[in-house]
Order: sequence, then structure tokens, then C-alpha cells
Amino acid sequence: MEYIDNIPIYLQIKDILYRKIISNEYELGSQLPSVRQLAVQFSANSNTVQKALKEMTEENVIISQRGKGNYVTEDGKIINKLKKNLVNEMFDATYEKLRSLHMNDEEITTSFNNYVQEKEHAHE
Amino acid sequence: MSKILEVNDLSYKKNNKTILANINLSVDNGKIIGLLGENGVGKTTLMRLIAGVNSIREGVITVNGATKKSEIKQYVSLSDQLAGFNKSTRISEIVRFYENVYPDFSVKKYQEIAEYLGLDKTKRLSSLSTGTLGKLVIALTISRETKLYLLDEPLSGIDSMSRKKIISSIIRWKSDESTIIISDHYVTEIASLLDDVVIMKDKTIYEVDSVESIQEKHHLGIEEYYEQIYEGSVTK
Repeated sequence: MEYIDNIPIYLQIKDILYRKIISNEYELGSQLPSVRQLAVQFSANSNTVQKALKEMTEENVIISQRGKGNYVTEDGKIINKLKKNLVNEMFDATYEKLRSLHMNDEEITTSFNNYVQEKEHAHE
Repeated sequence: MSKILEVNDLSYKKNNKTILANINLSVDNGKIIGLLGENGVGKTTLMRLIAGVNSIREGVITVNGATKKSEIKQYVSLSDQLAGFNKSTRISEIVRFYENVYPDFSVKKYQEIAEYLGLDKTKRLSSLSTGTLGKLVIALTISRETKLYLLDEPLSGIDSMSRKKIISSIIRWKSDESTIIISDHYVTEIASLLDDVVIMKDKTIYEVDSVESIQEKHHLGIEEYYEQIYEGSVTK
């Protein structure tokens, strides 16, 4: 695992787990690996993994069942919201950069649409 | 959280030369602590004193409530570089030695770890690479079922693949209630392993803080923070 040095590791683990949930690698209602398994997978301390899971529980993304483990919520709305936040986060930086080129929203939208079309053609 | 280790006003001299001065330290049960500091700062001496290998003349060390050296020894597993063994000794003989000397040594646990790390018991010490020797030292040290593990520079001079394996075996086999102190002078790689860091400077403990709070308060990685302390540009 490569971590960013100056960001708390539990936040980075949380971020990776959220991405796995958003991309459906961990499906709705499915059980997450045990704390120990995650700790080994992330080369991290199990206290750190616990902390990431605790925040995920508080944000209702996972449900912790005493003695049984942690499960992804069955509520798709929560995951959709996570996905929206993540996508927005990814767009934020790009949007700011385009704005700094004095492009207006219409120009940005048009160039994005063109970009997607070109990508599609490239895949064909 | 209860304390597994308390060090109070510990000072240590050797041939009238001060090695450690005024050490105060308190460690919670269940944590993984990084003991950081440049070579010669006294990390090894501190570990040997905690483990009851060397005797204290000034100060008090309490491990799991015990202050008597003979009692402390049963709660602490200190890594040993195996320099006391003849080079022609086979791994299997060293394992048997550990089994005889330490009543809490679990052969079953050792075998699991040895298998994971790929240690061949028929090999002689003289034939082991630095990486393999490092793996053996860790496997032996953590196979004791005890409270406090002191790993003295377990990654020093070891190739990157072996370092990864060693780190992962520590995570895999650490029981929740045991505590580990790992000394090192290169920190980045073990940062994700640590709850807290204890930074030694000028023969004493300069700072104790959680990895998370260093990242949050100072927006620095542990390595950077540690370097800045040594350059004197970070003040408490």
C-alpha cells in the first residue's frame, strides 16, 4: 500500500473502501472482510482500520452487527449520495482549472460533451 | 485503556557516560508504537532496560504492573539478533532452544509464521541472507505469547520485499491485547502500522504523539516531522 504521508491513514482507508462500495466491488448488503483481513490488505494497524469502519458506520454506509461483522448498507440512496460526492470532488479541481482559463459554464459543458464523444469514438 | 508500560525518571550511565537521561514514558495496552531516533540516541539501551536485560540504577520501570526484573522478563519479548548462536546452528535448533527457554513460546504459532515467511528449518544461520535472518528474528520474537513485544530495528538493512513480509506478519499475528514497540530510524514504511510515535533526541524522549495527530495538526508525514525535529525547525 502506498499512502500519502501527511493525510491520516484511516481517512485514506475509508476513501478506498468507499470507492470499492461505489464501484460495486462490495455490493449492497454484502459483508466486508474482517478487521484483521482488512488490516493485512491495507498493511495497517487494526486500530486504524477500526477507526475507518467506525466513521463509515456513523455515516450509515456500513452497518456493524455485533459479533457478526460489518455489512454494506442495503439503502441504495446512501451509496448514490456517496457517489455523487465523489464525482463532484473529482470535477471540482477540473472545473476550477477551466474557470481559471476564463471559460464560461456553457463553453465548459460543450467541451466536456465533445470530450466524451471523442472518447466514445476512440473506443469504437 | 490500561497501561502496559510505565517508565519513570529513568537515567542510565555506562562507564560514567550518560546514555539515557530522565526518561518518562507511558504506553497503553494494545497499541503499536514506533520508537524513533537517530543511531546512538539510546533506543536499544532503552529496550534492553525495559526487557530487564540490563539493570536499572536510577528510575522505575513497570511492565504490566510488575517492577521486579525477574517478573518483568515474562511479560516482555525482546528481539534478539541471534549473535550468541554459533553460525553453524540450524533454524530448527534455535526454535528448540526458544521452546526450552521460554515457557510462553508457541511452536504452533512459530510454524504458521515460518510457513508464511518461507523459513526453512533445516537451514544453518551462516547460510541466511540478511532478509531471511530478519524474518527469523521476527518469527521467533512474536511467537512468544506475551504482553509486550520490543522489536529493535526489525527492518534495518533488509530488502524491500522482506520488509513488506515482515510488516504484514506483524499485523497478521499481533493479538489485540498485546502491545508492540518497534524502533527504527526510517519511518515512512511503517507509518501505517503505528498508533503513536515516541521520538528520542539528545538521550531522552523528545516527544510522544499519535501518528494521526501529527498528520492532522502539522500536516506533515511522520518522516518529515521527525526530520524537522532533528533539524530543530519544529518546536513543541
